[in-house]
Amino acid sequence: MWTVVKSVLAALLGVQNNRNRQEDFSSDKPGVYIATGVVITLLFVLLLVFLATLAAR
Amino acid sequence: MRSRCWWLLVMTFAASGSQAQTNGWNMPVGVTDVSGDIYGLHMTIFWICVVIGVLVFGAMFYSLFRYRHSKGAKAANFHEHTSVEVLWTAIPILILVGMAVPATATLKNMYDASDAELDVMITGQQWRWRYEYLGEDVAFTSNMSTPRAQISGEEARGEHYLLEVDEPLVLPTDRKVRFLMTSDDVIHSWWVPDLAVKQDTIPGFINENWVKINEPGIYRGQCAELCGIDHGFMPVVVHAMEEEEFDGWLAERKAAAEEEAMGVDREWEMEELVERGESVYQSICSSCHQAEGQGSPPAFPALANNEQLISDVDWHLDKVINGVSGAAMPAFRSTLNPVELAAVVTYTRNAWGNDTGDVVQPSEVAELIAQ
Repeated sequence: MWTVVKSVLAALLGVQNNRNRQEDFSSDKPGVYIATGVVITLLFVLLLVFLATLAAR
Repeated sequence: MRSRCWWLLVMTFAASGSQAQTNGWNMPVGVTDVSGDIYGLHMTIFWICVVIGVLVFGAMFYSLFRYRHSKGAKAANFHEHTSVEVLWTAIPILILVGMAVPATATLKNMYDASDAELDVMITGQQWRWRYEYLGEDVAFTSNMSTPRAQISGEEARGEHYLLEVDEPLVLPTDRKVRFLMTSDDVIHSWWVPDLAVKQDTIPGFINENWVKINEPGIYRGQCAELCGIDHGFMPVVVHAMEEEEFDGWLAERKAAAEEEAMGVDREWEMEELVERGESVYQSICSSCHQAEGQGSPPAFPALANNEQLISDVDWHLDKVINGVSGAAMPAFRSTLNPVELAAVVTYTRNAWGNDTGDVVQPSEVAELIAQ
């Protein structure tokens, strides 16, 4: 699970090393990556909403 | 080589320090706290860009020169370097967030029009500005006063060519003034660089903005949204006065407005009306119907020797008060007061050979408007 989260975070930043990428692509469960990606994107959006609310006070 | 790069940077900074004030190339520092903040942000971000530019292009040109082919340089052939990639992703993020923090603080301040001590309604019209001091019963239109002869090249251009008006917007210093901005016809934009205000005025909407001017003076600007043929001929002039002087000015204008309101009921002489009407005509009507009433057909019909106008005073009054729908002629019922309306109609009915002898009284016009 932790490797999946790490890969999604790396994708968010846009930087990943080749060894991890090969490992990710050898997995046969893409659904886990997609679901984690959606959840982390939502968390990122919530973080931005929180920061904007903080700034608007 | 490295020390030479630094030397270049230091020199660039030193050159900038001596010309922090505007010299015509840069944006103005302005005369409000907000305009100073905006100028500060602009310069901070500019210098961040300069530093980035010098570092990036410095590294590039240095590498091009130092590792050139003729010296037998061999290209490195490694593929990835995760820590460098993370670094060059993280640094721009930090720079952007670092710029966003002060920019957000300034924006929040700019949008906070609360606790204003004076409200001024600004209305854009083709092609003039109307200012209304809300709750003070003072309102007037501000027209460009540059003579047409200067525009057509028959006279030398004055110092404030196209940036001068008959009546400037008068504002107090050290007092927060809220602007409520709208338009009667198309979208205009009220722009005064020294006040750091550039706000669209949109028909059917009311936009807010505010200023608190620190220094008395005359500040000039223009309409900044293409709004028709005379877009370039509707300048903005703001006259900022010390608070006491402003209060005196406002009281004077209030008294004059009251006197004008009383003038509606009395009987006016033809000469008075013609004299008043001529000045109204030259500031309001002449931009379309031309100084001698010759018009500019087909969009702007001639008024001189216009048979319909000469024969039908009711038709004439209706067009001036209610405008012509679907044409460029606006309704002047709320822009001009009954005295001005009566005066300008009387004037046009008796000028340039339209010798009708008709006199329209302000009281008649007031009755027509009330209907």
